[in-house]
Amino acid sequence: MRLLLVEDEIDIQHFLKTSLEEAGYQVDAAIDGQSAQRLAADHLYDILVVDLGLPDQDGIGLILRLRQMGVKAPVLILSARRSVDDRVRGLEQGGDDYLTKPFALAELLARLRNLLKRNSPAGSEATRLRVLDLELDLLRREASRGGELLQLTPQEFVLLEYLCRNAGRVVTRSMILDKVWGMRIQPDTNVVDVHIYRLRGKVDGKGQQPLIRTLRGVGYVLKDR
Amino acid sequence: MSSKTADPPLRSAAWRISLWATLAYACGTMMAFAGLHNFVARDLQRRNDAWLSGEAGTLADVAERTPKDALYGRVVSEVAELAEKEVPDRLLSGPTPDDAVFFLQTGAGGAMKLWVGAGNGRANWQAIQSAVITPGSPTDIDVKGFAIPYRVAAAATNDGSRIYLGLSERDQLRVLRHLRQRFLFLWLLLVLLGFGIVFATTRRMLSHVRKITQAASRIGHSDLTARVPTTNRNDEVSHLAHTLNHMLERIENAMHQLHTITDALAHDLRSPLTAIRGKLEMSLSTAHGGQAESIVSALEEVDRLTDFLNKSLDVAEAKADALRLIRSPVDLDEVLRIMINLYEPSLAEKNIRIALDSRGPLKIEADEGLIHRMLANLFDNELKHLPPGHSVRWKLESAGRSALLTLEDDGPGFDPEIAARLFERRVKGNASNGHGLGMAFVDAVARAHGGSATACNRQPAGARIVIALPVSAFPFAPSASR
Repeated sequence: MRLLLVEDEIDIQHFLKTSLEEAGYQVDAAIDGQSAQRLAADHLYDILVVDLGLPDQDGIGLILRLRQMGVKAPVLILSARRSVDDRVRGLEQGGDDYLTKPFALAELLARLRNLLKRNSPAGSEATRLRVLDLELDLLRREASRGGELLQLTPQEFVLLEYLCRNAGRVVTRSMILDKVWGMRIQPDTNVVDVHIYRLRGKVDGKGQQPLIRTLRGVGYVLKDR
Repeated sequence: MSSKTADPPLRSAAWRISLWATLAYACGTMMAFAGLHNFVARDLQRRNDAWLSGEAGTLADVAERTPKDALYGRVVSEVAELAEKEVPDRLLSGPTPDDAVFFLQTGAGGAMKLWVGAGNGRANWQAIQSAVITPGSPTDIDVKGFAIPYRVAAAATNDGSRIYLGLSERDQLRVLRHLRQRFLFLWLLLVLLGFGIVFATTRRMLSHVRKITQAASRIGHSDLTARVPTTNRNDEVSHLAHTLNHMLERIENAMHQLHTITDALAHDLRSPLTAIRGKLEMSLSTAHGGQAESIVSALEEVDRLTDFLNKSLDVAEAKADALRLIRSPVDLDEVLRIMINLYEPSLAEKNIRIALDSRGPLKIEADEGLIHRMLANLFDNELKHLPPGHSVRWKLESAGRSALLTLEDDGPGFDPEIAARLFERRVKGNASNGHGLGMAFVDAVARAHGGSATACNRQPAGARIVIALPVSAFPFAPSASR
């Protein structure tokens, strides 16, 4: 996957480049709109990460110009601004995504994956999910581990389904709140942890290998190996 | 918007203005007519009196000169009959008995000598006798058997006899009655016409004001770049519109300035926070043991700082009524249920019960993200400060054009020291380790939506917070019932 990163703050550009490369992307970094346009003219990118506040031009202007140049790759817009510009909302409707700084790396990666998935031809939606000995029947809304049915509430099933779909990848509390409860909030209490704790009590029984891992300060991951 | 701009004429101030204007107009014209009527009545009276006095004098003259022979009665009678034909305001048509005029002559002894008129004249003579009629000043007398009084003039002759000439006031009254009827008809027509014109004009005028109000209400709540409609006329309404637009211009500039400052502040703080967070996350992936612990706690601090920054700027903007909202339909009932679902396990861990009292979906026009964050603040508060074993109750109800969210608990309530200043920034209980922005943020979000937040302690124990949020984005649209 070839990714064009347009970010003028050297510090941020540096850690983003490193982290994205670690995540398996082949990253070209541009420090301003001019060089981004040059790079986009020379190479074909699968996805773009563009900061809104560029020194030489407005990030949105750059995206629109790249679109005019024929760049069809989806764009993840990064912004440190408070208000979401109407034009950003327009781009969101056009299939691009928007992320406010500061963000958790896991969330950036998840959004990139989503953008790429959206742009790739959709395969037939699976009706069963399988992670190690954990199995989810998405139609009957039932989960079982090692062949044994788990007694989950509907909410717990949705939470487990989200973890399974991201098995092996870190999900943050904000991502869980957004995707499972549909809320972009930042509680300063441990509400999500209590849900995970309860779910873990049902999924990881005695004597079984624990599947749901907590990464302190980052989030959770469902082990897939 | 079409249903909102529909303007029920019954609620317009145009009614009041037109009613008062019409009332004044009607009273004025009525008074003018009363004066005119009075004048006409007096003029008629004067004309009648002049005729009566003149004719009585003529008849007295004739009676004097005519020799007192057998023909005397006939001559005087004929002259009297001729005089009757010249009655003013006479209704010529109609077979009414000719009782409009009577002529009566008395002898020197006071006995009735000659009578010309309808009937035998006895009743008239009795009436004349009971009234004192001096020559030269005609007087009204009521004759038995006649509803309408007679105006009677007297004249004395040299031979001591008296001539009385009476004229029924019937014709005079008829003329006046016709005048009144015609006036009343015209008056009604004029009053209705006047009402119509005043109503149409005021309504047209007020429709401009209404448009300005609608535009201004819309502008105040969402879009500061819009302007109220102006007209080319150089009248008060147009001045109002221009003044409002001028004011909006200045407000927009001030808001823009504020937004620029908060945006710049956000940008300048968030960029380093992004870099710090990224670096911390990167070092966390390679750290071990105690090192990881400190990185994790640093990450948590960065997140708290970010949250604090966001809330501070939101509260600052909301205090200046400058919080930018992205409104969409939000079902408060659904949001509360999801929130309760999210917080219930944590509350249960602390042995706190939670209940919702709601009558089903209640949709309002609001910024969903802000509503979520506001409610999360209130839930967090309960979770952090309510001692174990207590209970929390949410109540959702609709009150007029507002949705009321009531949060009650049976805990210790607010510290009386801070209860009055609960919604201010930096106000927090001694036991709280928050940054004292939570309740200020709740208030800010409610205000930004045109609503309010109030807090009080319950009797005998507990706290109550009531948040009122308008159902529609434009609570002051003229069609809204207020």
